[in-house]
Amino acid sequence: MRNYQRLQMHRIAYSDLSEEQVAQALRPTANGPACRSPLSSVLAGKKLKIVTDDGGPVLEYHFRNGHDLEVSEGGGKPVKAGYGALECRSLVMVSHMIPGTQRGYQFVLDQSSRCATVFEVSFSGYAAQETADAAQAKPKPRTPQLKNGHRNREVQRRVWFGYVDDGTAAPTARHAYTNRLEGKGIYWKQDNDIEILEFYLSILYSNFIELTRFGGEMTVCAPSDYVMVNDHLFIYSRIECEFSGTYTLQVIDLFDLTQRGVRLGVNEKDQLEYYMYTGKGEIIGQAASFEVFGNNSETRSGPRRVYRPIETFETLTDEQVKEQCLNHAHAFGDGQGSGAAGMGGYRTTPITHFAGKQLTARMDNGPVIEYQFVDGKNLKWRYEGNANWRDAWYEMYEPDDQLYFFAHLLDAEYPRSCAMVALDMKNGLSTIVKGTTGTPYRNNETHPTYYFGVFQMEGGPTPPTYVRHGWTDEMVGELVTWNYQKGNPGLTSMHFYATPNAYSWIIFQPDGSGGLQWSSPGWYSKLRDGVYIMAWVEEACNGTLGVICFNQRIMHDAGFGFHVGSNGLSLSVVGARARHAGKFDVKKYISLRT
Amino acid sequence: MSTNRTRSSRRAFFLKGGAVLGAGVAAGASALASGKAPPSKDSSQEELVRQLREELDAAADREALRQLHFTFTAMLESQNYDAAARLFEDPAHLHDYRQRIAPSVHAAYRPNSLQQQDLVTLSDDRQRASATFHVDARICTALEGDFTLARMARLQGQMADSRWESGRLEARYVKHAAREWRIATLHYVAS
Repeated sequence: MRNYQRLQMHRIAYSDLSEEQVAQALRPTANGPACRSPLSSVLAGKKLKIVTDDGGPVLEYHFRNGHDLEVSEGGGKPVKAGYGALECRSLVMVSHMIPGTQRGYQFVLDQSSRCATVFEVSFSGYAAQETADAAQAKPKPRTPQLKNGHRNREVQRRVWFGYVDDGTAAPTARHAYTNRLEGKGIYWKQDNDIEILEFYLSILYSNFIELTRFGGEMTVCAPSDYVMVNDHLFIYSRIECEFSGTYTLQVIDLFDLTQRGVRLGVNEKDQLEYYMYTGKGEIIGQAASFEVFGNNSETRSGPRRVYRPIETFETLTDEQVKEQCLNHAHAFGDGQGSGAAGMGGYRTTPITHFAGKQLTARMDNGPVIEYQFVDGKNLKWRYEGNANWRDAWYEMYEPDDQLYFFAHLLDAEYPRSCAMVALDMKNGLSTIVKGTTGTPYRNNETHPTYYFGVFQMEGGPTPPTYVRHGWTDEMVGELVTWNYQKGNPGLTSMHFYATPNAYSWIIFQPDGSGGLQWSSPGWYSKLRDGVYIMAWVEEACNGTLGVICFNQRIMHDAGFGFHVGSNGLSLSVVGARARHAGKFDVKKYISLRT
Repeated sequence: MSTNRTRSSRRAFFLKGGAVLGAGVAAGASALASGKAPPSKDSSQEELVRQLREELDAAADREALRQLHFTFTAMLESQNYDAAARLFEDPAHLHDYRQRIAPSVHAAYRPNSLQQQDLVTLSDDRQRASATFHVDARICTALEGDFTLARMARLQGQMADSRWESGRLEARYVKHAAREWRIATLHYVAS
């Protein structure tokens, strides 16, 4: 049975725990992590000194047995702590906290090379770090992002590269950031029966689908680190920023597709999760990467950036949205055009030859709308049976041969809606995506309603009785890059159509590597072979409804964006050029249970 | 302005073999080598010292101007505009300069292969100066828009477009204190 949750992660109101509450929650960490699999005793009885570069910590350990250690930081007084260790070939992953604090260390050391990578983790550090970062922001200081509280629950991490000091000469090699995991997707089944799909599509982020904990409906994104040990052993970590703040660290072995991991955080029920795990994986695909050949490592010019859409989302009141909907609504710049500087840089030539024509779009169990196309930019519309014609600006495109896609605003009422209408002249079919402002969560989000049906038009085809455009999962698993403007990388993203109900997008960095990433719910319908309508809503992000008609034969789209914010309500064009970037075989993991 | 026009680049200095005085006085050294005649044998010792001091002071001024240029380009590249503005006699001039090149953004300047033609010219009283620095400029176009993709791209420091072009920076300077120069005007001219 699927374990669907009432609220997906982006809708959960995670509590803003105080430092004291976090300290209380962390108290059991003094005993070390739990683990369903046997923990390793390889370090029992050993003493170990880890030295890290760039002024990082110097840690001297005495592992009393397989569960208890003493650690001295920088030559300080030794502290006793519980720990856990797991082995992966020559690697040992160790996790422990410093009792009485909200700090701890997770590290991976290589017994053969003596290289060590230390993840210094802490809680209750976001506010101070964010305040300092904001004060030093370039080109000018900015306001700290504290709208959603102090985020004491969010794990902070610092990554230190170093080595085991055994008294001999220090090794010159180090583990290093890498892009060599970029593009890979893996299904994992952990020893605690947790199943998860992880996608490493960026060098700064990853996205994952929680099959067990959330039922696999959505994919969510988290800032991540990728560290290369060798060509088949990697260290991966992520922090579920904007959500629970939970930290995950894993050693991934691509030879035998196994993982060793640790999960540390406070979940949505404010309960501690601190355990180590092992897991077995299956490769589910490999997306293309777009760096130039020879670029095999991540180059970071500063701290890892974190995209915080929930923090930065501009939430408007009901009255504010109503004002924008009724008095500041503009479709296609009121006939002056739209999107050229945004997501419509590659829009195709607008279709104007419907001028003077009339038609009726008749949706099954939905609206029946009559149209008179006055010219190439103005139309009149009315619901069937209604005497009054309304004027509206429209833009129409032809994403496939004799398949037209146009959009316009509907009545000036609140909530405000728009219609995005596909007319399939070869098949007599029509599909309308109606966008409407407001969701149960935010007034200035939008939501779509799909209607499938037919259209009637003098000289048009006789519409079918039963055949309709319809929902599809044919796009699920596909990855497509979208270049919206000239320039390199310009405004270019990669869509990953992750589930039948969600997608994720990655913004490319100048060197072609994947950068920031986020996700939203998404829906897919099929118009013709290789021609689809994909819609998404940037929930808890920007609130925008995007609807594109994607033609895989010409690798181009035509679409529209519907948005309401403090700058008004807008309906604008989307037009971009695509490249295929790969496909993941995800359907078998996320399809409905039989 | 003085006719005391000399090449100020580090490369020019080493070609002239002025290592005795160090790179910081490259322009002065090259001036000695290529400009004025050396003191005559019957010049008084005092005149010789005065002349050398003058040359050294001029060289020090040129080095100060060269360092000011490097400081400015470094601050611009690090987007430390507030600090860069304080290098100007009128801090508002930097804003005007950036407005003139808008909507493009100059993200970086690098000395280019024409740097041997860089010129620093001092006025006779060494209270004013002008300079030409040949550079490759990284010309960027800012990403506009309030939609999600643009926001994310800007967050990772991205521009709509970025390219390098050759040009030169034409600057005028005024001396503010003993060795402290400030930029009076600055213009970028594409080659």
